[in-house]
Amino acid sequence: MSFSVASQILAALAIIFTVFAFGQRLQTFSRLSRPVDQAKPKGSLQTGVLYAYTLGMAPWSKESTRRHAIAYMRGVAFHAGIFLGLLLLIASPWLGGVPQVVRTLLGIGMALGALFGFAGLVLRFVEPNLKALSTPDDYFAVSIVSLFLASEALWLFLPQAQVFFYLVSAAMLVYAPLGKIRHCIYFAYSRLFYGRFIGSRAVLPHSQQGAR
Amino acid sequence: MTSNKVETALEMLNKQLNQPLTAALEVCARCGICAEACHYYVAEPKPENIPAARAESMRQVYRSEHDFLSRIFPAWTGAERLSEEKIAQWAETAFMNCTLCYRCTVNCPMGLDTPLLMSALRAIATATGNAPEMLEMLADAAIEKGKDPEVFLEYFRGSIADMEKELRELTGIPVASIPLQRKGAKKLYVALSGAHTILPVAAIFETVGEDWTLSIYEASNYGIFLGDASRAQTIARRIVDEAKSLGVEEIVISECGHAYYVMRWLAPNWFGDEFTFRVRSIVEVLAEYVEAGRLTLDASANPEPITYHDSCNLGRKGGVLEESRIVLNAVTTNYRELTPNREEAYCCGGGAGLVALPEAYDIRMMAGKPKADQVKHSGAQVVVAACENCRLQLGDLNEHYGLGVGVTALADLVVKAMRLPGNRAAEDHLLTVNASEASEVAIYEV
Repeated sequence: MSFSVASQILAALAIIFTVFAFGQRLQTFSRLSRPVDQAKPKGSLQTGVLYAYTLGMAPWSKESTRRHAIAYMRGVAFHAGIFLGLLLLIASPWLGGVPQVVRTLLGIGMALGALFGFAGLVLRFVEPNLKALSTPDDYFAVSIVSLFLASEALWLFLPQAQVFFYLVSAAMLVYAPLGKIRHCIYFAYSRLFYGRFIGSRAVLPHSQQGAR
Repeated sequence: MTSNKVETALEMLNKQLNQPLTAALEVCARCGICAEACHYYVAEPKPENIPAARAESMRQVYRSEHDFLSRIFPAWTGAERLSEEKIAQWAETAFMNCTLCYRCTVNCPMGLDTPLLMSALRAIATATGNAPEMLEMLADAAIEKGKDPEVFLEYFRGSIADMEKELRELTGIPVASIPLQRKGAKKLYVALSGAHTILPVAAIFETVGEDWTLSIYEASNYGIFLGDASRAQTIARRIVDEAKSLGVEEIVISECGHAYYVMRWLAPNWFGDEFTFRVRSIVEVLAEYVEAGRLTLDASANPEPITYHDSCNLGRKGGVLEESRIVLNAVTTNYRELTPNREEAYCCGGGAGLVALPEAYDIRMMAGKPKADQVKHSGAQVVVAACENCRLQLGDLNEHYGLGVGVTALADLVVKAMRLPGNRAAEDHLLTVNASEASEVAIYEV
């Protein structure tokens, strides 16, 4: 068995492990009770949830992201890179015939994602608040995900780097459910609960304030 | 060896672990963007005042109990076992360093509910005997009082009779009254302790010919500040039962943020059956009167530069944001907003029971600095707040920072603008709080 095939199998196994581990976590989570709000809503829950997932994420929608627009957009770009990177990883066995120009463009995207990730890592080392908040898990999580994007970029530019890309991907995927990276599966729930809260009370979006 | 306190705390933690709490414990990416959302951090920019850092202590224990990697390698994730010292630290954090204002949640890209975590910590601190004594005392006193209302009812009726005389003078309506527990009334008004939350509203109700009655209970609910669902429910239950037995169409809560929040948004989930009445804040009722033209108002009665402080429980957590402005625009000629306002408003620094704690004075003066700065920058001479706790805190901030403003309730401004025959007497009742008056009111509420 060649290194290339072995690394591909390893990455595939890592994907299976991650999906299984996240699935387990979600199953445990779904077994927990979810309080049903019986207070008569003032506004619309659905509108609140829609807002929480869309305009509520816009950099201009809240004071914190207006104040830290660049840092926020860096984070958004990093996470967008991760999602694209994961999609490309899954599709990678079938990307052999893709024209080089497309690979190069995707590679630039991944490289930018990695750059934004590493910038976040540097910030964790130099910005006093971030430094105070960070644990070794935080540094490692940002490093491994940034490295994943960098290895993917390298592979897109240079197909010979495939083994390296798959090995890094496998390491990142195995770590994901264990450490801080797993916050990704709770994100949707957290925004859902937030959306229901602000929606039912007609706090946001502002258009709901006409409701009585 | 695990102590009883630690066992109780862990039991409480696990008991509270539902989906929203677990999501709040798991979702934080420690990005720190919430820092300036917190008025404590704005007043004192140090890492421990970042909401994410505040909740981290709880996450450390959660991880040590529920996370595989943290159990085998705690230093890697910063996991820590629970100890009695940590419980005491939780109590300090949850009761003194967070006013549950929800501003960090609104500003978090994840929508992380840190107040939910702090409420859970308050519940744990209360269960382990670490809650502030004063809050326990206030909650227990309210429960005791509610057990046998007949004991104080006689005295209360006497006070109401005195108030009715003033009401008649004020309104010029010879038959104006303050009906107590009248069956079949449409509205049950639940006031706070003290005539200042009854008389102005009674004047408004009687002038518009409202079909109303006064509750014999106080709206405030200190059980909620303790994170103690049982005590909070006991206090709320008596108002719910009263409303049911009187057959009212709605409960109207006095200008009190937490009382409104409890009765409007929490209590409907507590007693198993759907409310047969609706719950509104008096602010919403006043806005309805203004919009329906039921009040004859002369805005020139309030010509001073006036601003409004959004109570967190009414506004950001309760959705009463525009109603207060509808009223203010009708009763003032020189209204100006604080910046920021509405759901972005800063907490006054006295919320979640802090204003009732004598030992919290220094910390709430510190945490209230952003609000004091806002007021100063607004150039207002009068600050209106539709929440008693906020008014007490604003009164103290006024004194502490030399703001030179008056602090008043919304209903008081409305009464002034109504130009009632006895308005001069009414003005004597305006709650323009200074530090000494604030402590008097707090003591009276005990």
